[in-house]
Amino acid sequence: MTEIVKVQGLQKKFGKFQALKDVSFTVNAGEVVGFIGPNGAGKSTTIRTLLGIINRDKGDVQIFGKDVWKDSLEIHKRISYVPGDVALWGGLTGGEIIDLFIKLHGGGSKEKRDYLIKRFELDPKKKAKGYSKGNRQKVGLIAALSVESDLYILDEPTSGLDPLMEAVFQEEIEKIKQAGKAILLSSHILSEVERLADKVAIIRRGEVVETGTLDELRHLTRSTVTLVTEGDVAGIADVAGVHDFVEKDGKATFSADNEAMNSILIAATKLGVKKIESVPPTLEDLFLRHYEG
Amino acid sequence: MNEKFARWNVLFIQYMKRDWKKIIVWILGLGLFSGAFVPAFEEIGKGQGLLGMYETMKNPAMISMVGTTPIKSGADYTLGAMYAQEMLLFCGLFAMIVSALHVVSHTRKEEELGLTELVRSFRVGRQANSLAVITEMLLINLLLGAFIGGVMASFSVETITTEGAFLFGASITAAGIIGGVLALMMSQIMATSTGATGSALGLVGLLYIIRAGTDVSNAELSMFNPMGWTYLTYPFTKNNWTPLLVAMIFCIVMTVISFVLEGYRDMGAGYLPEREGRATAKKSLLSVPGLMFKLNKGVMIGWLIAFLIMGAAYGSIYGDMQVFLGGNELMKQMFTQSGVSIEESFTGTIMMVMIGLVTILPIAIVNKLFAEETRLHLSQLYATKVTRGNLYWTTICLASSAGIAGVGLASAGLGGTAIMEMDQNSSMDLLDFLAAGYNFLPSVLFYIGLAALALGWLPKMGKVIYAYLGYSFALNYFGGILDLPDWFSKTAIQSWIPRLPMEGFDGTVVAVMTVISLVLMLIGYLGYKRRDLVEGA
Repeated sequence: MTEIVKVQGLQKKFGKFQALKDVSFTVNAGEVVGFIGPNGAGKSTTIRTLLGIINRDKGDVQIFGKDVWKDSLEIHKRISYVPGDVALWGGLTGGEIIDLFIKLHGGGSKEKRDYLIKRFELDPKKKAKGYSKGNRQKVGLIAALSVESDLYILDEPTSGLDPLMEAVFQEEIEKIKQAGKAILLSSHILSEVERLADKVAIIRRGEVVETGTLDELRHLTRSTVTLVTEGDVAGIADVAGVHDFVEKDGKATFSADNEAMNSILIAATKLGVKKIESVPPTLEDLFLRHYEG
Repeated sequence: MNEKFARWNVLFIQYMKRDWKKIIVWILGLGLFSGAFVPAFEEIGKGQGLLGMYETMKNPAMISMVGTTPIKSGADYTLGAMYAQEMLLFCGLFAMIVSALHVVSHTRKEEELGLTELVRSFRVGRQANSLAVITEMLLINLLLGAFIGGVMASFSVETITTEGAFLFGASITAAGIIGGVLALMMSQIMATSTGATGSALGLVGLLYIIRAGTDVSNAELSMFNPMGWTYLTYPFTKNNWTPLLVAMIFCIVMTVISFVLEGYRDMGAGYLPEREGRATAKKSLLSVPGLMFKLNKGVMIGWLIAFLIMGAAYGSIYGDMQVFLGGNELMKQMFTQSGVSIEESFTGTIMMVMIGLVTILPIAIVNKLFAEETRLHLSQLYATKVTRGNLYWTTICLASSAGIAGVGLASAGLGGTAIMEMDQNSSMDLLDFLAAGYNFLPSVLFYIGLAALALGWLPKMGKVIYAYLGYSFALNYFGGILDLPDWFSKTAIQSWIPRLPMEGFDGTVVAVMTVISLVLMLIGYLGYKRRDLVEGA
């Protein structure tokens, strides 16, 4: 698989504030990487470094095998970017701004533009200062998706979009992914990341604390088990790898280490299983686990 | 107090807390500038100084710039009379501009930034913000007037009476308030905050130019001009408080109208209609130069028209000047001795003043690029193949072109009208006027270079360039009146350039200044190319 984005040991200081301590991850062709973390963790700073808007203090940061600061123009010919906060010129219309962005990027298609304007239900004749947040976001998205690129950097692309438009966005991203393009998706909407992303990088206080496929990450995390047995279920609490055990009306709920699943099952069958459910952790569980405690 | 103004007092106290540093700088800066030059004027007034100044000030050219005096004979021209004539109008003009900028930035600008929306969601009346801002502006101007009065009275100069000193201060207060309410009015009518700022300043400029005309031809007519209600109080001579009363009535009426207009409009909307825009972009927009031009178009057209009018207004004085010289033997001898005609002498001075104003536009264009940067407008552009060099040099070229066009229009406006006014008697032709104007072009380039340097290395300092321009402007404006030491005058960059046509052209200065300007632009580019872009700061 071709490596499109490579970030290794990225560091950045603003004055005395260490915004990025150690950011490392990769994005490959045909892959959607979800980039998640709370506000102020360093997501947008990382993305601005990738775009050559700000220069890093340390680390190796490459896109298409080229340095993001020195060769930013070469790189920019083949990427599309949607900022988290799309700010537009109040005096220009949405249509004018989209045309301008497409022209400055180079190589967009008129058909694609018109198709996307229709799909996202944008009124291109309106002056941008009259647009709501969602509509400004649509302008940014349409401009970014109308051009041919090999890498799409999307910083909270659906903020302000209604659920219908969110669905349209997800479909369009699906198409791009099928076409073998790389996508870096920074988002707070974890269900969206869960649906689209192949890989996830979790950033916390300027450090990437976890990367891997969702399956890999899930494996590191406990599943939630609900168990009803004929015998007294309380005995399960003593099995190694069982945590947060709660019993109510003969129904036990606990979280279990994935490695301990077998010994739990053995102990449960001895008591006579009436009902067992095991739910893998959602991305939200993963996320919260990193930020609590 | 009415529902509409609910809790304006909370906002008012909040604004005083927010602005107190700005208010101190405002009052001290403008106050000392207006009131503290008394010792310098005492120097000028020594010996035959007052008499000489009285003769100089009878020149319509001087009256058009600084205003009139009610004094009819040189013997009555006291220090106080001189101070009031030379300082009051100019200081009032400054007070107007500062107040106007303050009012727009805290009313219309905040609506655009979305702050008003948040504030209005609380238990705050719909017009509480405007009332709080106007009250703040009123209080600042009252303090300013009292401070100026106190400073001037403290010099205990015989002809600067306490009553006169406080009338002088009160006139500046009135000027500030007029500026503030004009801005409030424009904030209701115009569709954007830049439109409101531009039209308010434009209006102030227009009033100034109209009064230049009426002052020269018939000073009584200036009493119909809101700007006239400030300096026509004639402190230290007539001590006439009536114009201030007229000014107050005017301000109250304007404020009431503004509040009514605000009450009937939606937040973020103006009264001038908005047209539906284009669904697709014109070809001319689709490039970095096209975009930069479009973004600056409104401001550029507005200022360029203003430059042309300004030139024409000053040009219209040339006829009066010749009449004045015909009836004044003393002045006629002075000019004959120096070998320079009166129109040549005036052209040299007024050109320096006009080019100082023309310089505002190019600085604004250079600063615009940084404003766009912090407003996140360029985020998506940076991620395309557009280079920083492209953005930077496009801006510099646009600013330089605006400067060249501005100088041309101001000079042509001045020359065209002047030649017409003087019918055949002129010792100068249009080319002389253009030469006198373009002679100052290197100073315009120098300011562009400074602004570019700031843009590249310390973009937040961009606004300071205006302060330096204002400083140089004031120095040049008063340089002819006050006898400043040479090194002091030379801190204003324009002072290095000889004033055509009364002085000879100095190719070396022009060349050196141009080269320095280009080097500044280049150094600015090196910084702009490598610095972190500031977003949302």
